[in-house]
Amino acid sequence: MATANLAARRRTVNNVMTGVLWAAALSIIVLLAFFVGYILYLGAPVISWHFLTAPPSELAAGGGIGPEIFNSFYILILTLIFTTPIATAGGIYLQEYARPGIFTSAVQFCAESLATIPSIVMGLFGLLVFVTLLHWHFTALGGALTLTILNLPALMRVTQEALQTVPSTFREGSMALGATKWQTIRRVVLPSAIAPLTTGIVLIAGRIFGETAALIFTAGVSVSAGRSAYDFGLFHQAETLSVHLWYVHSEGLVPDAAQVGNGSALVLLVMVLIFNIGARLLGYALHKRLTGK
Amino acid sequence: MTTTTEIKMCVEDLNVYYGSFHAIKDASLQVPENGVMALIGPSGCGKSTFIRALNRMHDLVPDVTVQGRVTLDGEDIYAKDVDPVTIRHRIGMVFQRPNPFPKSIFENVAYGPRIHGVRSRKRLLEIAERSLRHAALWDEVKDRLDKSALELSGGQQQRLCIARVLAVEPEVILMDEPASALDPIATSKIEDLIGDLKKDYTVVIVTHSMQQAARISDNTAFFLMGELIEIGPTRDIFFKPQDKRTEDYITGRYG
Amino acid sequence: MAALMLYLAYMGLQLFFIDHVNPLVFLFSPNFSPDAHHPGALVFILGSVFVTLFALCVGGPFGVGVGVFLSQIAPPKLATLMKPAIEILVGIPSVVYGWLGLTLLAPLIRHSTGSLTGFGLLTAGIVLSIMILPTVISLSEDALRAVHISMKEGSMALGATRWQTIWSVMLPAARSGLTVAVILGIARAIGEALAVQMVIGNSAVLPKGLLAPTAALTTEIVTDMGSAQEGTVLYHSLFSMAFLLLLIAMALILGVRLAVRRSS
Repeated sequence: MATANLAARRRTVNNVMTGVLWAAALSIIVLLAFFVGYILYLGAPVISWHFLTAPPSELAAGGGIGPEIFNSFYILILTLIFTTPIATAGGIYLQEYARPGIFTSAVQFCAESLATIPSIVMGLFGLLVFVTLLHWHFTALGGALTLTILNLPALMRVTQEALQTVPSTFREGSMALGATKWQTIRRVVLPSAIAPLTTGIVLIAGRIFGETAALIFTAGVSVSAGRSAYDFGLFHQAETLSVHLWYVHSEGLVPDAAQVGNGSALVLLVMVLIFNIGARLLGYALHKRLTGK
Repeated sequence: MTTTTEIKMCVEDLNVYYGSFHAIKDASLQVPENGVMALIGPSGCGKSTFIRALNRMHDLVPDVTVQGRVTLDGEDIYAKDVDPVTIRHRIGMVFQRPNPFPKSIFENVAYGPRIHGVRSRKRLLEIAERSLRHAALWDEVKDRLDKSALELSGGQQQRLCIARVLAVEPEVILMDEPASALDPIATSKIEDLIGDLKKDYTVVIVTHSMQQAARISDNTAFFLMGELIEIGPTRDIFFKPQDKRTEDYITGRYG
Repeated sequence: MAALMLYLAYMGLQLFFIDHVNPLVFLFSPNFSPDAHHPGALVFILGSVFVTLFALCVGGPFGVGVGVFLSQIAPPKLATLMKPAIEILVGIPSVVYGWLGLTLLAPLIRHSTGSLTGFGLLTAGIVLSIMILPTVISLSEDALRAVHISMKEGSMALGATRWQTIWSVMLPAARSGLTVAVILGIARAIGEALAVQMVIGNSAVLPKGLLAPTAALTTEIVTDMGSAQEGTVLYHSLFSMAFLLLLIAMALILGVRLAVRRSS
């Protein structure tokens, strides 16, 4: 029975391939769990109140990462302050106002290309403009502005996608009551899109928090010497936590670089988890409040 | 060729649920061999759900439960040791919207034989020609077998999909409103084709058009709200319906 | 955007117009001696190409496979569970991947192969393979979900198995979307700097094998930019590399556009 054989073989191939795909997918989960577990295992012994708050050390062991954590948040907040208004405005324009045409597709094309440019290349651009051309040297502001350019396209996209989730009946309903387009966007469309918008922004915030390559040559690799650990100076060097992790390994001189690295990696990972879970919870809560479900 | 009424498929107490929604309620019917059976009823009555249960298409969708017995030549197609894949090999299906694969015309027809193990190009070409001729499409496409199937008109695409099913030589062909997306000329071509197919195949067709059912079918089953109301020779259903609800539908008293 | 392009082009071309370096030397010489006025970048170019190809060969099929799983096979509950996991993989900073490569993978490779340092093409390639996974997975999942259900039904109704349907109908039908997934995976791999820099070994020599240390365009920039004096040949050649990376990114975006246009 050739056909029976054939059918059996097809069934076997199907089952084997299904198994392979299951294995591939499950290995992703195992991989992630393993990464988290491993970083936790390495980093947990290092974490202490002193490590989390003390300034780093240049030569001796026992330095902390306090200012780095602070700088990471500081640059993140600066970046969000710059990016959010521009990106939401851009997203609203593209989604609600723009008509298909040369200008719109040019903007889209620029945004797409901008999103593909390696962050290290963006870092060099920041170096040229903020450090060399404007003579700011390595600054928190320069770093934040570089990250602004780097993340604009992603945030604009998030805005566009969030607006797309709003059914057009909402817009029609509001316009039919005599509201202007802007009133409609402001009072109907934006509030309905707030949940996915917030989720998207927080997820991108997580990425900004971990960004490194664009900051090495713009915000610098050390915290401002001699100043307070928590330094709001816009024009002071501001090494972030992720940059610190790279720096202690690649260029650092401290003997306990491995410990500092393990601890920093753990803090970074925990922050990323918090951003991801937070984004979901926040989006969920907003959605619930909005729909009353 | 058989002229007697051998029973090809038999459905006993079929129930289908979408989640908790009871879509088909205790339907039982018999499909005679080498004939055309039409399933009619207002939209949402469950006729599409019913026909998809006949070749286990519901297996592809989560949250659908099928209960009851469906037999093909006396063999329960829902039995535990039956592979739905071999069932679908024997019971082909044509869908409401033409769904040619984004491949060439030839590759569309050759797809079925290929997956069932036919390798030789010569043999595949023979099968393709025979199936396309049978589907009354050969003359229109014989010079452009390598062109994309998506370049064909809607009616041609649907006949291609029929040829695609014929190429795997099924015993039963299920058709789910195969002409509903087509213009009248394309529709009449499909109807002629169905009349021709019943010489070699058993055809079950869902249609929303009573005229179509009257023109092409030997037997007709009338569904209403998930229930099989009445079944019989098409002539009887249309001219002397037994059930008041069938009569109301035939005479146009439902939407 | 245009300013960025022009500025980087201006800086990137200074090597050729001010230092009068022959562009062919830059592109094809494996000898990187900027002090001797001979900044051949072939090592870095090949390094970038190799690690990217490696990531593509390992992470590409793996990522598309998981995309297939999520869109065609996974029970809906499992699929919704895996989405956040994949997002977390995207969110993990590249330095943390680098750190994992450094503390976990490199020692492993050192012990299992007898390589001297554990740093090199193989280590960098594996780290990158993992890093491009989320991109490839979610884009290929989207591409496959965009294929109309009637394609799947049509194939299954002919008696095809699920795998035959996936292989012969779904994957070809999603071809343009899958191309985009792969191209953006390439973009992520070729542009990644730090994770690679931490494990590739950073020596400007052509690698003799998978285990040998070498360098890539991005990693060379990271390694030497800090010490490069403004106006030197080294400084200019690093900007030429950045400009080259920019051109590659643009080419990839054009590739994406082409793939999308062809499908419509």
